[in-house]
Amino acid sequence: MTDLIPISALGSREPAKLQHGVLTIAENPDLGLASLALRRGDCAPDLGVKLPGPGGWVSGEGIGAFWIGPDQWMIEGQGRASADFLHQVSRLAPGCSVTEQTDAFVDFEITSQEGGAPVRALMEKLVNIDTAAFGPGRATRTRLEHMSVFIIRRAEDRLAVMGMRSLAGSLWHALQTAARRLNHE
Amino acid sequence: MLIPHPLLGLRDAQEFTYLGDAALLDRPDGLAADAEASFADYVYLRNNPAGVHRELWFHEHGDRSWLIVKRNTVTHEILGAELARDVALASRGEAQ
Repeated sequence: MTDLIPISALGSREPAKLQHGVLTIAENPDLGLASLALRRGDCAPDLGVKLPGPGGWVSGEGIGAFWIGPDQWMIEGQGRASADFLHQVSRLAPGCSVTEQTDAFVDFEITSQEGGAPVRALMEKLVNIDTAAFGPGRATRTRLEHMSVFIIRRAEDRLAVMGMRSLAGSLWHALQTAARRLNHE
Repeated sequence: MLIPHPLLGLRDAQEFTYLGDAALLDRPDGLAADAEASFADYVYLRNNPAGVHRELWFHEHGDRSWLIVKRNTVTHEILGAELARDVALASRGEAQ
Protein backbone atom coordinates (compact mmCIF):
# COMPACT_ATOMS: atom_id res chain seq x y z
CA MET A 1 0.00 0.00 0.00
CA THR A 2 1.24 3.49 -0.81
CA ASP A 3 2.67 5.23 2.20
CA LEU A 4 1.25 8.73 2.05
CA ILE A 5 3.09 11.46 3.92
CA PRO A 6 1.00 14.43 5.04
CA ILE A 7 2.62 17.80 4.29
CA SER A 8 1.74 21.27 5.46
CA ALA A 9 0.28 23.99 3.22
CA LEU A 10 3.81 25.27 2.59
CA GLY A 11 4.93 21.83 1.45
CA SER A 12 7.07 20.71 4.38
CA ARG A 13 6.68 18.00 7.00
CA GLU A 14 6.70 20.42 9.92
CA PRO A 15 4.52 23.56 10.12
CA ALA A 16 6.48 26.74 9.41
CA LYS A 17 7.42 29.12 12.22
CA LEU A 18 9.43 32.32 12.13
CA GLN A 19 10.42 35.05 14.50
CA HIS A 20 11.26 38.62 13.53
CA GLY A 21 11.90 40.87 16.50
CA VAL A 22 8.92 40.66 18.84
CA LEU A 23 6.63 39.08 16.23
CA THR A 24 6.25 35.33 15.77
CA ILE A 25 4.44 33.97 12.70
CA ALA A 26 3.40 30.33 12.94
CA GLU A 27 1.51 28.14 10.53
CA ASN A 28 -1.35 26.41 12.35
CA PRO A 29 -2.11 23.14 10.55
CA ASP A 30 -4.46 21.86 13.25
CA LEU A 31 -7.38 24.22 12.76
CA GLY A 32 -10.59 22.53 11.63
CA LEU A 33 -12.87 24.81 9.61
CA ALA A 34 -16.43 24.54 8.38
CA SER A 35 -18.70 27.24 7.01
CA LEU A 36 -22.25 27.46 8.22
CA ALA A 37 -25.13 29.18 6.42
CA LEU A 38 -28.69 29.53 7.61
CA ARG A 39 -31.58 28.80 5.28
CA ARG A 40 -33.85 31.80 4.81
CA GLY A 41 -35.89 32.56 7.93
CA ASP A 42 -34.10 29.97 10.11
CA CYS A 43 -32.78 30.68 13.60
CA ALA A 44 -29.11 30.34 14.49
CA PRO A 45 -28.20 26.91 15.94
CA ASP A 46 -26.65 26.42 19.38
CA LEU A 47 -23.01 25.44 18.86
CA GLY A 48 -21.87 26.26 22.37
CA VAL A 49 -20.92 29.80 21.37
CA LYS A 50 -23.24 32.66 20.48
CA LEU A 51 -22.78 33.28 16.75
CA PRO A 52 -21.46 36.85 16.40
CA GLY A 53 -22.88 39.75 14.41
CA PRO A 54 -21.17 41.50 11.46
CA GLY A 55 -17.40 41.78 11.87
CA GLY A 56 -17.32 39.68 15.04
CA TRP A 57 -15.38 36.64 16.31
CA VAL A 58 -16.14 34.58 19.41
CA SER A 59 -14.47 31.57 20.95
CA GLY A 60 -15.64 29.08 23.51
CA GLU A 61 -14.81 25.56 24.67
CA GLY A 62 -12.76 24.20 21.75
CA ILE A 63 -14.92 26.01 19.23
CA GLY A 64 -14.83 29.45 17.65
CA ALA A 65 -16.92 31.30 15.10
CA PHE A 66 -16.61 34.42 13.00
CA TRP A 67 -19.07 36.23 10.81
CA ILE A 68 -18.38 35.96 7.07
CA GLY A 69 -21.59 37.30 5.56
CA PRO A 70 -25.29 37.82 6.32
CA ASP A 71 -26.49 34.61 8.02
CA GLN A 72 -23.11 32.97 7.37
CA TRP A 73 -20.28 32.06 9.73
CA MET A 74 -17.00 30.19 9.67
CA ILE A 75 -16.76 27.70 12.53
CA GLU A 76 -13.31 26.93 13.93
CA GLY A 77 -12.20 23.86 15.85
CA GLN A 78 -8.70 24.23 17.30
CA GLY A 79 -6.80 20.96 17.03
CA ARG A 80 -9.59 19.32 15.03
CA ALA A 81 -8.19 19.50 11.47
CA SER A 82 -7.77 15.73 11.25
CA ALA A 83 -11.11 14.95 12.89
CA ASP A 84 -14.28 14.87 10.80
CA PHE A 85 -15.02 18.50 11.66
CA LEU A 86 -17.79 18.84 9.09
CA HIS A 87 -19.69 15.98 10.72
CA GLN A 88 -19.13 17.41 14.21
CA VAL A 89 -20.56 20.80 13.20
CA SER A 90 -23.47 19.52 11.12
CA ARG A 91 -24.59 17.31 14.02
CA LEU A 92 -24.97 20.46 16.13
CA ALA A 93 -26.64 22.44 13.34
CA PRO A 94 -29.42 20.34 11.82
CA GLY A 95 -31.16 22.07 8.93
CA CYS A 96 -28.24 24.43 8.25
CA SER A 97 -25.93 24.31 5.23
CA VAL A 98 -22.53 23.22 6.54
CA THR A 99 -19.51 22.93 4.23
CA GLU A 100 -16.07 21.51 4.99
CA GLN A 101 -13.39 24.25 4.66
CA THR A 102 -10.44 22.80 6.59
CA ASP A 103 -8.12 22.13 3.64
CA ALA A 104 -9.31 25.15 1.66
CA PHE A 105 -7.51 27.60 3.92
CA VAL A 106 -4.14 28.06 5.54
CA ASP A 107 -4.03 29.68 8.97
CA PHE A 108 -1.09 31.80 10.12
CA GLU A 109 -1.09 32.87 13.76
CA ILE A 110 0.86 36.01 14.58
CA THR A 111 1.87 36.66 18.18
CA SER A 112 3.56 39.70 19.66
CA GLN A 113 5.72 39.62 22.76
CA GLU A 114 5.16 43.31 23.43
CA GLY A 115 1.40 43.81 23.47
CA GLY A 116 -0.81 45.19 20.72
CA ALA A 117 1.38 47.90 19.15
CA PRO A 118 3.52 45.57 16.94
CA VAL A 119 0.37 43.75 15.76
CA ARG A 120 -1.24 47.07 14.80
CA ALA A 121 1.94 48.18 13.01
CA LEU A 122 1.98 44.93 11.02
CA MET A 123 -1.69 45.32 10.09
CA GLU A 124 -1.07 48.88 8.92
CA LYS A 125 1.55 47.55 6.51
CA LEU A 126 -0.61 44.71 5.24
CA VAL A 127 -4.32 45.59 5.11
CA ASN A 128 -6.44 48.69 4.57
CA ILE A 129 -8.52 48.27 7.72
CA ASP A 130 -9.09 50.77 10.52
CA THR A 131 -6.70 49.18 13.02
CA ALA A 132 -7.91 51.32 15.94
CA ALA A 133 -11.41 49.86 15.52
CA PHE A 134 -10.09 46.33 14.95
CA GLY A 135 -9.69 45.24 18.56
CA PRO A 136 -9.92 41.78 20.13
CA GLY A 137 -13.03 39.93 18.97
CA ARG A 138 -13.10 41.54 15.51
CA ALA A 139 -12.79 39.52 12.30
CA THR A 140 -13.19 40.43 8.67
CA ARG A 141 -12.37 39.39 5.16
CA THR A 142 -10.22 41.86 3.27
CA ARG A 143 -7.51 42.19 0.65
CA LEU A 144 -3.85 41.55 1.37
CA GLU A 145 -1.50 42.01 -1.60
CA HIS A 146 -4.40 41.21 -3.99
CA MET A 147 -5.26 38.05 -2.03
CA SER A 148 -8.55 37.57 -0.21
CA VAL A 149 -7.85 36.81 3.45
CA PHE A 150 -9.72 36.53 6.71
CA ILE A 151 -8.09 38.37 9.56
CA ILE A 152 -9.07 37.78 13.18
CA ARG A 153 -7.89 39.76 16.17
CA ARG A 154 -7.85 36.91 18.69
CA ALA A 155 -6.39 39.09 21.45
CA GLU A 156 -4.64 42.43 21.80
CA ASP A 157 -1.32 40.72 20.99
CA ARG A 158 -2.60 38.04 18.60
CA LEU A 159 -3.76 38.17 14.99
CA ALA A 160 -4.76 35.28 12.73
CA VAL A 161 -4.47 35.59 8.96
CA MET A 162 -6.24 32.94 6.88
CA GLY A 163 -5.82 32.76 3.15
CA MET A 164 -6.57 30.31 0.39
CA ARG A 165 -4.34 27.28 0.82
CA SER A 166 -3.18 27.40 -2.79
CA LEU A 167 -1.77 30.88 -2.10
CA ALA A 168 -0.04 29.85 1.13
CA GLY A 169 3.46 30.53 -0.22
CA SER A 170 2.64 34.06 -1.40
CA LEU A 171 0.84 34.88 1.82
CA TRP A 172 3.72 33.55 3.91
CA HIS A 173 6.12 35.69 1.85
CA ALA A 174 3.96 38.80 2.36
CA LEU A 175 3.72 38.29 6.14
CA GLN A 176 7.38 37.45 6.49
CA THR A 177 8.52 40.48 4.45
CA ALA A 178 6.32 42.90 6.39
CA ALA A 179 7.47 41.51 9.75
CA ARG A 180 11.12 41.68 8.67
CA ARG A 181 10.80 45.29 7.54
CA LEU A 182 9.12 46.28 10.82
CA ASN A 183 12.16 44.85 12.52
CA HIS A 184 14.43 46.87 10.13
CA GLU A 185 16.17 43.69 8.96
CA MET B 1 -12.35 55.92 -2.21
CA LEU B 2 -14.33 54.48 0.71
CA ILE B 3 -17.72 52.79 0.50
CA PRO B 4 -19.99 52.96 3.57
CA HIS B 5 -20.99 49.30 3.84
CA PRO B 6 -24.31 49.11 5.73
CA LEU B 7 -23.06 46.24 7.91
CA LEU B 8 -19.29 46.73 8.08
CA GLY B 9 -18.79 50.50 7.96
CA LEU B 10 -16.32 52.34 5.73
CA ARG B 11 -14.43 49.95 3.47
CA ASP B 12 -11.77 50.41 0.79
CA ALA B 13 -13.39 50.54 -2.68
CA GLN B 14 -10.66 48.16 -3.92
CA GLU B 15 -12.36 45.35 -1.97
CA PHE B 16 -15.34 45.73 -4.31
CA THR B 17 -16.10 44.84 -7.92
CA TYR B 18 -18.31 47.14 -9.96
CA LEU B 19 -21.17 45.78 -12.03
CA GLY B 20 -23.24 48.73 -13.26
CA ASP B 21 -26.66 50.35 -13.20
CA ALA B 22 -28.87 49.13 -10.34
CA ALA B 23 -31.72 48.81 -12.87
CA LEU B 24 -30.23 45.34 -13.55
CA LEU B 25 -32.09 44.17 -10.43
CA ASP B 26 -35.37 44.38 -12.35
CA ARG B 27 -34.97 41.47 -14.71
CA PRO B 28 -37.80 41.19 -17.25
CA ASP B 29 -40.09 38.17 -17.39
CA GLY B 30 -38.50 35.68 -19.80
CA LEU B 31 -41.87 34.06 -20.58
CA ALA B 32 -43.77 37.23 -21.47
CA ALA B 33 -44.84 37.81 -25.08
CA ASP B 34 -42.48 40.78 -25.52
CA ALA B 35 -39.55 39.00 -23.81
CA GLU B 36 -37.17 39.41 -26.76
CA ALA B 37 -37.60 43.18 -26.95
CA SER B 38 -37.52 43.70 -23.20
CA PHE B 39 -34.37 41.58 -22.84
CA ALA B 40 -32.68 43.54 -25.64
CA ASP B 41 -33.39 46.69 -23.64
CA TYR B 42 -32.34 45.03 -20.37
CA VAL B 43 -29.01 43.82 -21.76
CA TYR B 44 -28.00 46.71 -24.01
CA LEU B 45 -29.71 49.93 -22.94
CA ARG B 46 -28.46 51.91 -19.97
CA ASN B 47 -28.94 55.45 -18.78
CA ASN B 48 -25.64 57.25 -18.57
CA PRO B 49 -26.32 60.15 -16.22
CA ALA B 50 -23.84 62.90 -15.44
CA GLY B 51 -24.68 63.17 -11.75
CA VAL B 52 -26.22 60.87 -9.18
CA HIS B 53 -26.24 57.22 -10.26
CA ARG B 54 -27.45 54.09 -8.43
CA GLU B 55 -25.17 51.19 -9.19
CA LEU B 56 -24.42 47.61 -8.14
CA TRP B 57 -21.16 46.83 -6.34
CA PHE B 58 -20.07 43.39 -5.14
CA HIS B 59 -18.05 43.12 -1.91
CA GLU B 60 -15.77 40.45 -3.32
CA HIS B 61 -12.92 40.71 -0.79
CA GLY B 62 -15.41 41.10 2.04
CA ASP B 63 -18.74 39.62 3.00
CA ARG B 64 -19.72 38.82 -0.62
CA SER B 65 -22.84 40.93 -0.46
CA TRP B 66 -24.21 42.99 -3.33
CA LEU B 67 -24.68 46.67 -2.54
CA ILE B 68 -26.53 49.44 -4.26
CA VAL B 69 -24.21 52.43 -4.05
CA LYS B 70 -25.36 55.96 -4.84
CA ARG B 71 -22.47 57.76 -6.55
CA ASN B 72 -22.12 61.08 -8.27
CA THR B 73 -20.51 60.23 -11.62
CA VAL B 74 -19.18 63.78 -12.01
CA THR B 75 -17.47 64.19 -8.63
CA HIS B 76 -17.13 60.47 -7.67
CA GLU B 77 -18.69 61.37 -4.33
CA ILE B 78 -20.30 58.33 -2.68
CA LEU B 79 -23.67 59.37 -1.28
CA GLY B 80 -24.74 56.15 0.42
CA ALA B 81 -25.00 52.39 0.18
CA GLU B 82 -27.63 49.80 1.00
CA LEU B 83 -27.86 46.01 0.69
CA ALA B 84 -29.22 45.08 -2.75
CA ARG B 85 -31.03 42.18 -1.08
CA ASP B 86 -33.04 44.57 1.10
CA VAL B 87 -33.89 46.78 -1.88
CA ALA B 88 -34.95 43.84 -4.05
CA LEU B 89 -37.10 42.27 -1.32
CA ALA B 90 -38.70 45.62 -0.47
CA SER B 91 -39.56 46.29 -4.12
CA ARG B 92 -41.30 42.90 -4.28
CA GLY B 93 -43.11 43.64 -1.05
CA GLU B 94 -41.52 40.71 0.80
CA ALA B 95 -40.30 40.73 4.38
CA GLN B 96 -36.54 41.25 4.76
